[in-house]
Amino acid sequence: MGRHSATTTTAAAAQARRATHRRGRTPAAGVNADRATGDEVVARAIDLTKTYGDKDAQVVALDHVNVEFMRGQMTAIMGPSGSGKSTLMHCMAGLDQPTSGKVVVEGLEVSSMNQRQLTKLRRDQIGFIFQSFNLVPTLTAEENILLPLQIAKRPIDRAWFDKVVDVVGLRSRLTHRPSQLSGGQQQRVACARAIMARPSVIFADEPTGNLDSHSSREVLGFLKDSVREYGQTIVMVTHDPRAASYADRVLVLADGRITQDLRHPTYDEILEVFAGEGDEVDGLPMSSRPGEASEEIPSKERA
Amino acid sequence: MIRIGLRDARAHFGRFVMSIIAIALGVSFVVGSFCFREMMSSQVDQMMASNSDADVYVRGSTEDKSADDMMAMSSGSSSSGSSSSSSGSSSSSSSASSDASKTYNRIDAALADTIAKVDGVKTATITYSVSGIVLVGKDGNAVSTTGAPTVALGLAKGTWRSATLTEGRWAKAKNEVALHTFAAETAGLKVGDMTKLVYPDGAADVKVVGIFSTDSSQAGAIIVGLAPSAAKDYFQQQSGQINMVRNIGVYGSANGGEPLTDEQQRELADRINKALPADSKARAVTGRQVRDDSAAATKKALGFIQPLILIFAVIALFVGSFIIANTFSMIVRESMRGYALLRSVGASPAQVFSTVIVQAIVLGLVGSGFGIGLGWGMVRLIVSVLDHMGMPMSGAVDPSASDMLVGLIVGLVVTLLGAALPARRAAMAPPIQAMNETVNPEKPVWPRGVAGSLMIACGALSWLFCWRIALAKADDTVAISPWDWLNDWGASLSTGWPLGVGAGLVVLGVIVLAPALVEPTSVVLGWIPAHVFTVTGRLATRNLARGKHRTANTAAALFVGVAIVSCLGVVASSAKASVAGIVDSGLKSDFSAMSASDGRIPDDAIEAIKKTEGVGSVSQSRMLLGVTYGSGDDKTSAMTFAEQPSLFTEVFAPVTNSGDADRALRDGELVVGVTVAKDNGWQVGDTVTVNGRQIVVDKEATAKAQADYQAQVQSKIAALQTQAQTLLASGDTAGAQAKSAEAQKAAEDAKNVDPSTLVKTKTVETHVKAKVGAIIENSVYRSMVLMNDDLAGKIANEYTMFTIMLFINAADGTDTATLKTRLVDAVKSYYVVNVQDREEFKSTMSTMVDQILIILYALLALSIVIAVFGIVNTLALSVSERTREIGLLRAIGTSRMQVRGMLAIEAAMIAVLGTLLGVVVGTGAGAVIQQVYRSNGLERLSIPWTQLGLFLLASIAIGVVAALPPARRALKVPVLDAVATD
Repeated sequence: MGRHSATTTTAAAAQARRATHRRGRTPAAGVNADRATGDEVVARAIDLTKTYGDKDAQVVALDHVNVEFMRGQMTAIMGPSGSGKSTLMHCMAGLDQPTSGKVVVEGLEVSSMNQRQLTKLRRDQIGFIFQSFNLVPTLTAEENILLPLQIAKRPIDRAWFDKVVDVVGLRSRLTHRPSQLSGGQQQRVACARAIMARPSVIFADEPTGNLDSHSSREVLGFLKDSVREYGQTIVMVTHDPRAASYADRVLVLADGRITQDLRHPTYDEILEVFAGEGDEVDGLPMSSRPGEASEEIPSKERA
Repeated sequence: MIRIGLRDARAHFGRFVMSIIAIALGVSFVVGSFCFREMMSSQVDQMMASNSDADVYVRGSTEDKSADDMMAMSSGSSSSGSSSSSSGSSSSSSSASSDASKTYNRIDAALADTIAKVDGVKTATITYSVSGIVLVGKDGNAVSTTGAPTVALGLAKGTWRSATLTEGRWAKAKNEVALHTFAAETAGLKVGDMTKLVYPDGAADVKVVGIFSTDSSQAGAIIVGLAPSAAKDYFQQQSGQINMVRNIGVYGSANGGEPLTDEQQRELADRINKALPADSKARAVTGRQVRDDSAAATKKALGFIQPLILIFAVIALFVGSFIIANTFSMIVRESMRGYALLRSVGASPAQVFSTVIVQAIVLGLVGSGFGIGLGWGMVRLIVSVLDHMGMPMSGAVDPSASDMLVGLIVGLVVTLLGAALPARRAAMAPPIQAMNETVNPEKPVWPRGVAGSLMIACGALSWLFCWRIALAKADDTVAISPWDWLNDWGASLSTGWPLGVGAGLVVLGVIVLAPALVEPTSVVLGWIPAHVFTVTGRLATRNLARGKHRTANTAAALFVGVAIVSCLGVVASSAKASVAGIVDSGLKSDFSAMSASDGRIPDDAIEAIKKTEGVGSVSQSRMLLGVTYGSGDDKTSAMTFAEQPSLFTEVFAPVTNSGDADRALRDGELVVGVTVAKDNGWQVGDTVTVNGRQIVVDKEATAKAQADYQAQVQSKIAALQTQAQTLLASGDTAGAQAKSAEAQKAAEDAKNVDPSTLVKTKTVETHVKAKVGAIIENSVYRSMVLMNDDLAGKIANEYTMFTIMLFINAADGTDTATLKTRLVDAVKSYYVVNVQDREEFKSTMSTMVDQILIILYALLALSIVIAVFGIVNTLALSVSERTREIGLLRAIGTSRMQVRGMLAIEAAMIAVLGTLLGVVVGTGAGAVIQQVYRSNGLERLSIPWTQLGLFLLASIAIGVVAALPPARRALKVPVLDAVATD
């Protein structure tokens, strides 16, 4: 029943530093600051527990988890199905209510927020990338990218928009509807949308789960670049070791607890972790092994 | 397969709610209309049974072909039933009643004595009815109930079997009345109370001497029992014929006062027929036959009600079928994968089809079931409302098994029709395509755009054609079209057909075209929301264009109702404007006076008005009873009025077609309305024979009556004197003195007797040749013939014409407002005379139009309510389809208000699209109707812009409200679940 504390930084310190990372900062400044202080906490889970079902048939998805996510880092959460990795992310992002414990993002306690506060949190601090169905089908790529800013009625930074568009390589696709884009392009639009608002943290839920290996590489590369160049913080749930290998840090969950915390692991190191746990781990899909490209699923289906 | 269908139905039940409501509402109207008809019909039967309860009726033997409507209307009928039940429709059915209830020649009242002597006859009585009687209640106001008339009958013991005196006695003199229980209750009067009764010649103080009840309720009619002698006098005055009656009621004695059986009735009628003199022109018929005939006639007159309700039920169901179609197409679209799975495991298209159809059947059954209950409840509600309004109904109101079956079938058929196309789509789904989750792209909308435009164009052409026909009918010099064949065909058509066909084509065309309109409309209509609410507005507009067919169907449902409402609005507003136009441009007098009861203004009231201070001139419009034109078989009747020569200069400006109306009237020529002239083929300068009636003193008969009376008195005196002498001889001096005093008194009485009671009158037919001096086009005079008082005096006399309208001009320098007050005071004691100034004269018509409009709007509200449910339905389904999308929007920071706003804008735009289409088409149709019926009184086109504007505003409000429930449902789903939904 040992509890894992991945990092130990005081909340007060995070609070103090957060002040320097508000919206007003320039990308460049942010980069330097983040690079300089790679261990500043953006989001933190304190004694987080999530159970489903009633007493007789209780499923413990998260079991007193304590974890901190660092600014300017890309953290991958891995684990077999049912290990609680998605639940952890959903609780962190305010999409799900923890049974007990606290979630703090940028010093704000997410777990006790009401709908209005949650909406504000999503507008200002959090970006999302989902596995599929990331885009509003009636809007063009450009409109989708700008949507969060418009919803929040925030001014649009055109220079930043151009930069983001160029990085994701969608310049020629801006007027297309999601149904006219391939799966990889759709995910890149989703990434661009998430990064456009420059949130404190982007939560990505299996962002490459539906993509072929080529598209996966593009998307992951873009996410990695945004961390490196703009100091973006990303928390990504994945069960693809290849995807996880792009991360600065890999957390491995099993039965609602963090079992591993790897810094800058290589692809082989990650494979080893799972290999070491043997047959118990069933969360590692065959298709994600190197050399085996997953089948491309027509993107139109989800339009 | 059926099991799968049933399971699906259970699973989808939540989505069927709106469709069930739609079906239930439509079916309820269908069932309700049947119940209502049966209720009316059983009410009529009951009333016939108690109101025309004689065993045998003796009536005229030949049908009266030249039945003068006005007379039938003004004098009512001597059979008590038929007039008391023709409640609401009496004003509009003057022509309908003449072909529904046959009129026969009148028979001599003296036949009653002959009949009474026939074996098996208990009594033979004549029940005289007087129309235009007004009873004044305890509170001093005229007693009236909505729709139902006041019926005054001469009643005495034994004249009406179904009426039972519960208190007091029957009236014996003009200053006494017996009241029906309902009348007494409504008036707040009881036996012994004094009140006023307004007779045709003025109000009189009367005493309530009795209360009686009848076997059936009288549907709100106020029944007043007059003294038979008084009733007879007024009846003869009103009918213009002396000693002639419509029928004689006979009660048989065979069953000791109980009604005779059908067989007995026939026997008695046969016996009476044998006893009737050959020249009596009378015939005895069984009471059964009379009751059946007049019940049938009444039901026919009321028959328009059910089809009217049914029309609106059909509209509602039509609208409802759109909702059902939408629901099913969305369900089918979502279940495509399931159907593909079924197909891939070997289900045939027919089997897949049946899974959808089973759901439709379940939906149809449930909806119809609710509908039947709702319809039942509705009729019960109507009955109780009528009861409160003073029209108690004792007829049965419960639906029969066949009514329920009809409701069930209608509901099922509509549901199946709505579900058929989506079910076909499900059946046709290719297994592979459906399996891989691809949503079929929507069919292109341009073919529907082309087809719809074509239909609208055809409809518009049909309207154009109709308009040309109307023009050609109004003016012979106008040709319908440049093509002869079309002209011949068009001339044989009535305007109704092309008008209806055109309207049908345009409405269907718009429905077909609608999907093609969604895209452009969402761009145009969406401009404002997209600029005011940048994000939500844009999302909403784009969503509209996403399911073009769905959006179009939803809007079309609203379109149908709104189109009819707008069309009615335009027609009604044009009608009002036309009347106002007549008053503004034509009416010159300051006031008009009319009678609120039977149209006759008592002479005393006319005198009172003339004497009122400040009245400059009074112009009288008198109607001549029973005037016909021509001779022999070609006789035609027309409403004929006697007017003052100053009519056209002081009261109404003539719109002359040909001739000089003012000169013609002054010169004693006929001024003919254009419709009458056309029907008879009269031209200015023609000479026509005018046939009328006069009632004059029959000198011979009077002399004979007086001689008879004298002889009777003499013989009585002689007898008394003989008796006195006998008594004197026998020594009884006191007795002899008493007898001779009696004899003296009899002689005295004979001197004092009112000679008028001995005056006998007779009816004289008059035939006068008159020249047509002018033909006029004023819409009020179109179907009338006018002449001056001098000419009228040759055709009719004071007994055969009466004043129905007065036009009053104020004397110079008199304030009209003050005069109005004085006039109202002057006629107050006559209760029924209504003085109106020009504005009120206009508003009487408007009020009438408004009342009709309110009823129609109430019926149309049904289809609009269903259409609103349709918007809720479409939005709810579309929200459930878009769960993930909405979840995504919320995940990236869309607030709840923004989601609500987005849906509200969407709903509002659907509503505005439907309303806009409806307003445009409805206004167009209204304008066409106005143009076509221009020559029938709809002279001015008036478009109620404010009203139409309000419709648009209301539609926005409706949209916003309709978006609330779907928005609540969308927001209830947690973001995480929404995003994770597969």
